[in-house]
Amino acid sequence: MPQDDRRRRFELLALPHLDAAYNLARWLAGNTTDAEDVVQDAYLRAFRYFDAFQGGNFRVWLLTIVRNAFITWVKENRSGRMVFVPDTPVADSADNEETMWGSRPRDPEALLLESIDSQTLGRLMEQLPAEYREVLLLREVEDLAYKEIAEVTGVPIGTVMSRLSRARLGLRKLWLQQAETEDAHGV
Amino acid sequence: MECNRATALLSGMIDRALGPIARLRVHRHVAGCNDCAAKLEELRAMQAAIRTKLPYHRAPPGLAARIGAALPREEAPRVARPWFRMPAFSLAGTGLAGALAGVALTLLLTGGQNDPSMAVIGSHIRSMQADHLTDVLTSDQHTVKPWLSARLDVSPPVRDLKQEGFPLVGGRLDYVDGHPAAAVVYQRAKHVINLFAWASSGKDEPFHEETRQGFNIVTWRQGGIRYYAVSDVEANQLAEFATLVAQGG
Repeated sequence: MPQDDRRRRFELLALPHLDAAYNLARWLAGNTTDAEDVVQDAYLRAFRYFDAFQGGNFRVWLLTIVRNAFITWVKENRSGRMVFVPDTPVADSADNEETMWGSRPRDPEALLLESIDSQTLGRLMEQLPAEYREVLLLREVEDLAYKEIAEVTGVPIGTVMSRLSRARLGLRKLWLQQAETEDAHGV
Repeated sequence: MECNRATALLSGMIDRALGPIARLRVHRHVAGCNDCAAKLEELRAMQAAIRTKLPYHRAPPGLAARIGAALPREEAPRVARPWFRMPAFSLAGTGLAGALAGVALTLLLTGGQNDPSMAVIGSHIRSMQADHLTDVLTSDQHTVKPWLSARLDVSPPVRDLKQEGFPLVGGRLDYVDGHPAAAVVYQRAKHVINLFAWASSGKDEPFHEETRQGFNIVTWRQGGIRYYAVSDVEANQLAEFATLVAQGG
């Protein structure tokens, strides 16, 4: 097939998902410049392996490549700094969901997550470990099914389920800490 | 079921990811346990907050062009010009919007006539360019419906499905596959759903689902109207959306 045809087919499939690819890369890499590099690398890879795309959900396939491109980028640019720490909860590793909820009475005032502003939520999200951040993004922003998240992240569905659960509880814990700090400062 | 077992499943519960038996057991537990019911509520509130408030980083202008320039081209450029040099791109001037315009044009050229699925995808992509999504921007169904009815020979049902997770964004007039069409715009998390509707005589037809170019499509005919729902949301979510629309129609 002439290269231009292949290229045009690729662009038709891949460009509409540029925002999704960039958003994921941006949340993983943490800044615009690196996110752009990761996305560009991902698109070049996707084009190279385009013939291997077997049909199915192109966005899921592309996001998988974006994630892999990010991991390569981390290895090349942040040597020694682990970004993906497998299943280290924000709380102690011995915690299960029940203890992560904590025993303190839930203060409805502190938990008005409906009242959280975008900026604060974004900041808390950045504090989550990357493997929690990514499952939350894939679930809540990309609206992917557990099976698809498992495909992108390369872990079993059961792990997706427990990671999502812990990611939510981790975010909740960060939010509670933030609310306490605000209280202490009389905000 | 005990609290610790139920607690571990609450997150899967709000994602509707549990099997029917587990779901039933959690339901039963939550019905009799205030503590777990409160946790479930809290998780739902958190999910809603993330879906509506987490900042979304759109690709910066110029990234599409930069990628286009970096993609290898092994043959001399032919008659078909690459998308990033198409007039629409330079006119639109900015990154993704321009790139999408290029894509939409190419879709129209390559999709050909008599392929309504490709035509609605083309319209869907064009609609997401800046300022083209809606002609009438409101979540008020009582504004959108008369606005569309006044301008078209069909009066598609317009219902705000916010409670069901698909808030109404607005409506616009479109022209799809040779038909003047109503486009009713909904949202799911950060994703846009375009519901196209045009007059089409014939018997009612059940849902037909397909995936094309990375987009999911559900089409059906009901009460003399041809419907196309198109989006990049998950196929079963789109089917759920279509079911809600069809129930209202």
